[in-house]
Amino acid sequence: MAEMIKSFRPYVTWANARGAWPDMIFSTRVRFARNLQGFPFPNRAEPRQLAEIRRQAMTAARDSGLFSRGHFLKLEALTPLDKRFLVERHHVSHALAATVLPAGAAVSNDEDLSVMVNEEDHLRLQCLHSGFAIEGAFKAALKLDEALGRALPFAYGQRFGFLTACPTNTGTGMRVSCLAHLPALSRLGQMPQVLESLSHLGVTARGIYGEGTMVLGDFYQISNATCLGRSEEEFCQNIDRVIRNLIRQEIAARETLLKGPLKLRTEDAVYRALGLLKHARTLSYEEFMQNVSLVRMGTAMGWNMGHDFSTFNQVTLLMQPAHIQAAAGRELAPAERDAFRAEFLRKKLA
Amino acid sequence: MLCEECRKQNAAVFLKLAVNNKVKELHLCPACAAKKGMSFGLESGAFNISDIVGNMSGYFKDFLPPERKTLRCGACGLKYSEFKESGRLGCPDCYAGFEPQLTELMARIHGSAQHTGRAYADAPELKLSKAETARRLTELRAGLKEAVAREDFEGAARLRDELKRLEGRHG
Repeated sequence: MAEMIKSFRPYVTWANARGAWPDMIFSTRVRFARNLQGFPFPNRAEPRQLAEIRRQAMTAARDSGLFSRGHFLKLEALTPLDKRFLVERHHVSHALAATVLPAGAAVSNDEDLSVMVNEEDHLRLQCLHSGFAIEGAFKAALKLDEALGRALPFAYGQRFGFLTACPTNTGTGMRVSCLAHLPALSRLGQMPQVLESLSHLGVTARGIYGEGTMVLGDFYQISNATCLGRSEEEFCQNIDRVIRNLIRQEIAARETLLKGPLKLRTEDAVYRALGLLKHARTLSYEEFMQNVSLVRMGTAMGWNMGHDFSTFNQVTLLMQPAHIQAAAGRELAPAERDAFRAEFLRKKLA
Repeated sequence: MLCEECRKQNAAVFLKLAVNNKVKELHLCPACAAKKGMSFGLESGAFNISDIVGNMSGYFKDFLPPERKTLRCGACGLKYSEFKESGRLGCPDCYAGFEPQLTELMARIHGSAQHTGRAYADAPELKLSKAETARRLTELRAGLKEAVAREDFEGAARLRDELKRLEGRHG
């Protein structure tokens, strides 16, 4: 079994459901895209340059003091399962996991902070906090940005700000995103209108693992669509307003689901989902996500689901394919995985 | 229901994606789903949307102003036409090389072409190993020669400054 995975904690603080509105906002992330002056962007850099960039980035991360007892990883030295585990922990993107060139990741001991090296940009710094926590995540990410910016010469110009490989990230280079859980809006079929209205507010919605990934369990990543022409604080305020509005809409949708004849149907669906999670003998990740989505909503509605959000958040993390294999201590074929997942979940929810 | 891709087999895989703020649903047969290049398998939620909705490059192509074919970045050599195709710049200096064109693009994407966020004033000096410095000097000299031959004097001036800076620092 991969040594790397064993060096990570079994749980992470950003999934502990401690922030504001944990029933609707799973986590908040702030990331900065940064590049080093004097090197081509990763898509045009040679392997030796990528290795040099990684060396400098890792040294700067180590020297910042923010990663003590943290993880410093060379991606090409990892197994596919290790990389998949990092993707599931949201420290590494699919694109970075798939690269065969020199790339790296630094992850802090409590896993709140991470740096991806040589993805689309030389550096992607991020801070991940539990619940709705834009201000806290922003401040922590900024601290990391400033520490690395003192050690490394970031590419920056007066006109366009921080320079990135893709012009959509240029300017502040900042993306603020909240992982929102919107089961009631989804159940009422209102998501298409909600997403449509979001596009007029300068924000985008993505799937659970970011750009181009699937919508699972009614989770949506909501983030700013632009990052130039306003200050970092203004972008944060805009997302803050949009998320608060989204929360109000989801609350209203949940109230609708509890009115009149809908209430029995909602309650029935939630308890059936709980029954399935507790008694299934084989369970795919998708099926798990569909059902845990309803159970999370049931918890928010005050029904006794036997556990709190913290437990449901942690199992949401633990049921992912690489985590399941880590728990099993070996690689499993998909069918074995589904059987193991069902058994593992029964124990967790017992 | 038939697979939306091959329209022959029955659809067995149902995918829901958020693309450009729209929920897109896809119904595929297992073979087509596998073909869509899901490097991590369906389970982890990874999916290559560029196969489905086309990549970003078309988006840039429409917004970027046309420019003479020879325009290229003096530092990394990326052609403007290549940038239009890929939507990715080659190096930080491309921003200076394509400034007028990028100004127009930025206004389209962000609704602004002027950074008003945090300033970054005192960047530290880039620390390079001796070997890397030597390689870089060779590259810059070659690039300078080429720029002069192309009569790209603006690009040549930038390269000359960079060369001087690097030579001055390491003797």
